[in-house]
Amino acid sequence: MQFTLFLGCNIPARVKQYELSARAVLEKLGIKVADNKEFKCCGNPIRNTDDQAFILMAARNLALAEKQGRDMMVLCKCCFGSLKNAAHVMAHHPSIQSDVNAALAKENLRYTGAVEIKHFLSVLYHEVGIKPLKEAVTRPFKKLNIATHYGCHALRPSDVTQFDDPVAPVVFDELVSVTGAKSIKWPLKLECCGAPMLGVMDTLSMDLTERKINDGLNAGANYLCVACPYCQMQFDRVQKMMSPDPKDNRRLASLVYPQLLGLGMGIAGEELGISENELDISNIESFLEQEIQ
Amino acid sequence: MLYDTALYMALAIFGVGLIYKVSGWFRFSVDMQNRSESTPAPSRIQTALRGVFSTLFSQKLFILTRVFVSDVLLQMRIYKEDIIRWLMHMLIFISFMFLLFTHALDKIIVTSLFDRYYLDLNPYLIVAGLMVLAGVAIAAYRRFILKVPRLKTAGPDYYALILLAVIIISGLAMELTKLTSYENYQSYWNIHVYGCLFGLAYLPFSKLLHVLTTPVSLLANAVMDKQSSPANIKTRQMMELDACTRCGTCSNRCSVAVAFDRIGNEMILPSERMEFLRDYYSYKAIGAKGLAAIQQGIYLCTNCDRCTVACPAGINLRDMWFDVREEMIQRGDAVDLVLTPFSYFRGLNMDKFDFEPFEKPVVKARKKVTAPYKLLHQSDDIIPLTSANQVFKENAGLSDRASTYTFCFACENCSTVCPVVGNYESPIEELDLLPHQIMRSMGFGIKDLAMGSRMLWYCLTCYQCQEHCPQGVKVTDILYELKNLSAKEVVPSQPTMGSVTLK
Repeated sequence: MQFTLFLGCNIPARVKQYELSARAVLEKLGIKVADNKEFKCCGNPIRNTDDQAFILMAARNLALAEKQGRDMMVLCKCCFGSLKNAAHVMAHHPSIQSDVNAALAKENLRYTGAVEIKHFLSVLYHEVGIKPLKEAVTRPFKKLNIATHYGCHALRPSDVTQFDDPVAPVVFDELVSVTGAKSIKWPLKLECCGAPMLGVMDTLSMDLTERKINDGLNAGANYLCVACPYCQMQFDRVQKMMSPDPKDNRRLASLVYPQLLGLGMGIAGEELGISENELDISNIESFLEQEIQ
Repeated sequence: MLYDTALYMALAIFGVGLIYKVSGWFRFSVDMQNRSESTPAPSRIQTALRGVFSTLFSQKLFILTRVFVSDVLLQMRIYKEDIIRWLMHMLIFISFMFLLFTHALDKIIVTSLFDRYYLDLNPYLIVAGLMVLAGVAIAAYRRFILKVPRLKTAGPDYYALILLAVIIISGLAMELTKLTSYENYQSYWNIHVYGCLFGLAYLPFSKLLHVLTTPVSLLANAVMDKQSSPANIKTRQMMELDACTRCGTCSNRCSVAVAFDRIGNEMILPSERMEFLRDYYSYKAIGAKGLAAIQQGIYLCTNCDRCTVACPAGINLRDMWFDVREEMIQRGDAVDLVLTPFSYFRGLNMDKFDFEPFEKPVVKARKKVTAPYKLLHQSDDIIPLTSANQVFKENAGLSDRASTYTFCFACENCSTVCPVVGNYESPIEELDLLPHQIMRSMGFGIKDLAMGSRMLWYCLTCYQCQEHCPQGVKVTDILYELKNLSAKEVVPSQPTMGSVTLK
């Protein structure tokens, strides 16, 4: 397994706990990842207004990974979807690909499509495998109900992203179950977190977020679990803005998946950036069983 | 006589220029259009002095000392970025400092320390001169031969390099001809000495001013934080504009710099934006085209913080962009990018705004993108049967994915699974058209309907519609394409190529 880690823009600036915990978990699992400081924006935010710029931005990152000779491991689901979409468009439109390569030539880069784009969860599920992960969990959770939030841009459009079954996905649920936690059934599991409309149509964005939180609570969830910085910011920072009172019992705090897995693997909370979360999640450690010797 | 006059004139211009520059830090602020109350310059000077003194007499003095040694003297921020650049800068910095103290100011410093100080041929001077030249050569090599990507070179960069080269080469020639030819020596002396005096007078107006401002920026940013007085933050931001040397580190690191390769608007590059802002806040005049360019450039930002982390001058670009962005998007024409995920960071910080100024740019943009398509707003109009716009119909199917709208048989699955539609009691009132209606409008070639609905700009791009379409219509991709089309049609004032100049 030879991967280069693609962090995107939000994680290093605002969701540091995702990078911290992902690196801690990967290290403990013995997966070495390379970095590339030349990686830039995946192109996702400009897709609405300028798809040519979008494809170029995505393709440049893919070409850099190609030059590095490594497959890409992506933490953000929006970055993942964006890179996958760009690769898909170029695979079906050779003229677009050659346009892009003409622009990339200035930096001595070339995109041929040799690089595989994988989301962090897919790497854990398909490359590491459920069984070895189960063995790595030395301190499983007990009686912990997790509302697993899939995130849109990894799941759909499924013909492009090829992440999982778009209607009845299992990858993320099984990864949550590995930690001993229960991945509960909740009706809005596959719905959008609301992030794309924040700053554009805030009432819509927050209505969607609130509906998901209520749905999770009603299904008996103790926490939300996500694997995307946008979803995390929405359920963490934006939820805090929506209900500023810390005693509010209609809050449902969220954590990123490697924090959950890391705790189960016996990694200390501070190494997983638990304190970086805006809504306090330290109580989750009370669900941990004793360390299996 | 001539020399004395020139010396005092140069000193006077230097002094006045410096006072003029520094006063600007207290007179202006980057959010000058939107400021509700502005602090007058004298009280800003007072606040600044109070801030400086309270810092000097606190534990922060240790931080200042550490930053002075590591970032100002040893320039570790440049070292971390690029060793070659650090070498270039250190060669110029060390030897210029040496020349300044032992040679230019020799009468004041050296002769007061050493009695009868004179050397016929001073080898130290020659070595120092050669070191500066080596540094200048590396700088020129980087800019003109290596062509570092997105590193722009303009007037002030040429002038600074030429000035340094002239002073040092004439100085070396002067030192070497000292013993051989008095005439040559005299003419080199003239070039050298008047070159230096010119440099002194020009310093406050050149990029060489950074020898004073960059250390101030590094030190100020090391001890200032969000709790610092707002007046001092404004003063610091104006000073930071003068601390920028346009070294291009930010543009090199910038997450969206690649968009510049396609769009060509230089205002996308942070270092060019700094250059523009310096002029903007001095002259305060900006044409409609210039405003559109800076609006687009500054909104095309993912707020990844990389520019701030990397800036060798320690400039807090994160806060600069935040304030300048508000200054720009409140004014003039609407910015369509406001309706895209580039707004996420602004949304995260909504608690820093009053409701009205927060909403204004979004409302303005939404109006702008829907207004040209009138059919939707004239509900009494009868749509003529022959209204199909064939050109639109053909162009709307640019990619093979988008042309799939022809398969739509109006089963309404897309509208049923759409979380945006589901969010509203009476969705048509809020959204104008539902996704399946947009697909049908395209089938009929009715451009006004397809392009004009608010649904288009409320789309989350969650891809539920596309995933659930039994006919394989790429609904979300089609909505993306319509938005792209709108960006090209509705915002023609958007700059496309080249640099921006002030009116």
